[in-house]
Amino acid sequence: MANFNLRKAEPKDVPDILRLIKELAKYEEMEDQVILTEKDLLEDGFGDHPFYHCVVADVPVEHQKVEGYSVIGFAMYYFTYDPWIGKLLYLEDFYVMREYRGFGIGSEILKTLSDTAVKNRCSSMHFIVAESNKASIDFYKRRGASDLSLQEGWRLFRIDKENLLKMSAEE
Amino acid sequence: MDFTIRAATLEDCKDISRMILELAEHEKVSDQIKITQRDLEQDGFSKNPFFHGIIAEVPEHLKSRDGHTKVGYSLYFYTYSSWKGRAVYMEDLYVMPEFRGKGIGQALMAKVSQLGLAAGCNQLNFTVLDWNKSSLDFYRKQGCWDVTSELGYHCMRCEGDALEHLAQGDL
Repeated sequence: MANFNLRKAEPKDVPDILRLIKELAKYEEMEDQVILTEKDLLEDGFGDHPFYHCVVADVPVEHQKVEGYSVIGFAMYYFTYDPWIGKLLYLEDFYVMREYRGFGIGSEILKTLSDTAVKNRCSSMHFIVAESNKASIDFYKRRGASDLSLQEGWRLFRIDKENLLKMSAEE
Repeated sequence: MDFTIRAATLEDCKDISRMILELAEHEKVSDQIKITQRDLEQDGFSKNPFFHGIIAEVPEHLKSRDGHTKVGYSLYFYTYSSWKGRAVYMEDLYVMPEFRGKGIGQALMAKVSQLGLAAGCNQLNFTVLDWNKSSLDFYRKQGCWDVTSELGYHCMRCEGDALEHLAQGDL
């Protein structure tokens, strides 16, 4: 099965994007963490100032392995900034349904994203991977990615909404 | 200490550039800076900015030994979590050494939190180097948690030749 199509996501793809986000979260054993809704995705991705961009992979009807689904893979990304080297492309999510793996769809998505990064004069593509996800880490390392947490000691920190509110109230 | 926190303007880029270099020197990596003051002006203050800035300023009579009144800054931008939606990423947070311990860093971070919440964000993310004990302690006191430690997420990067090869589709 080599017949698939990569394209920019459209508003009509939002239900499939959310479905795939939840599938990927389930794969990472985090599905109860997804609170995003279709309404959020629509407003945040297809309004005047999108917070993210998306590419989707779809297959023609006759090649559907899972009934009813033609969108079988996606990548969500946005542009970030490093004051030392400039623009970067940040890969937020990247997923291909299990039934469609091994056909080069993932590689093709990554190629499209890298091309987008280069065309937008981004010096680098960044993303995070769970250290337990050995298959993905190998996939990325084979393509020349380096692990900044291991090599340079970078640790990702987060403040959640409750503490954000506390902090913003301190003057 | 008497200081104000305000949005950065084009005119602040000279001081932001100076302080970026100071921060890089503090992190012992100043030879990696490729971005110039002109790049900052274009990338931060054009129609579609890649980042936003806030500045901490002191009155003239409290200026630094070298005569600077702009004594701290933060650079941030909006990102997106496929689980939680809108997020704000704090790329840089810096206060000149002679002005530390007076609440300026906390005020800068409070401002980023306020702006993020106003934009509908649910979380604030940033990275810290694992050897930077004073920063790690400061952030933990603000209620931040270490995503790399707790969830095992590693920050990854694909750049330079690796990015070009990926864009060509080479493996």
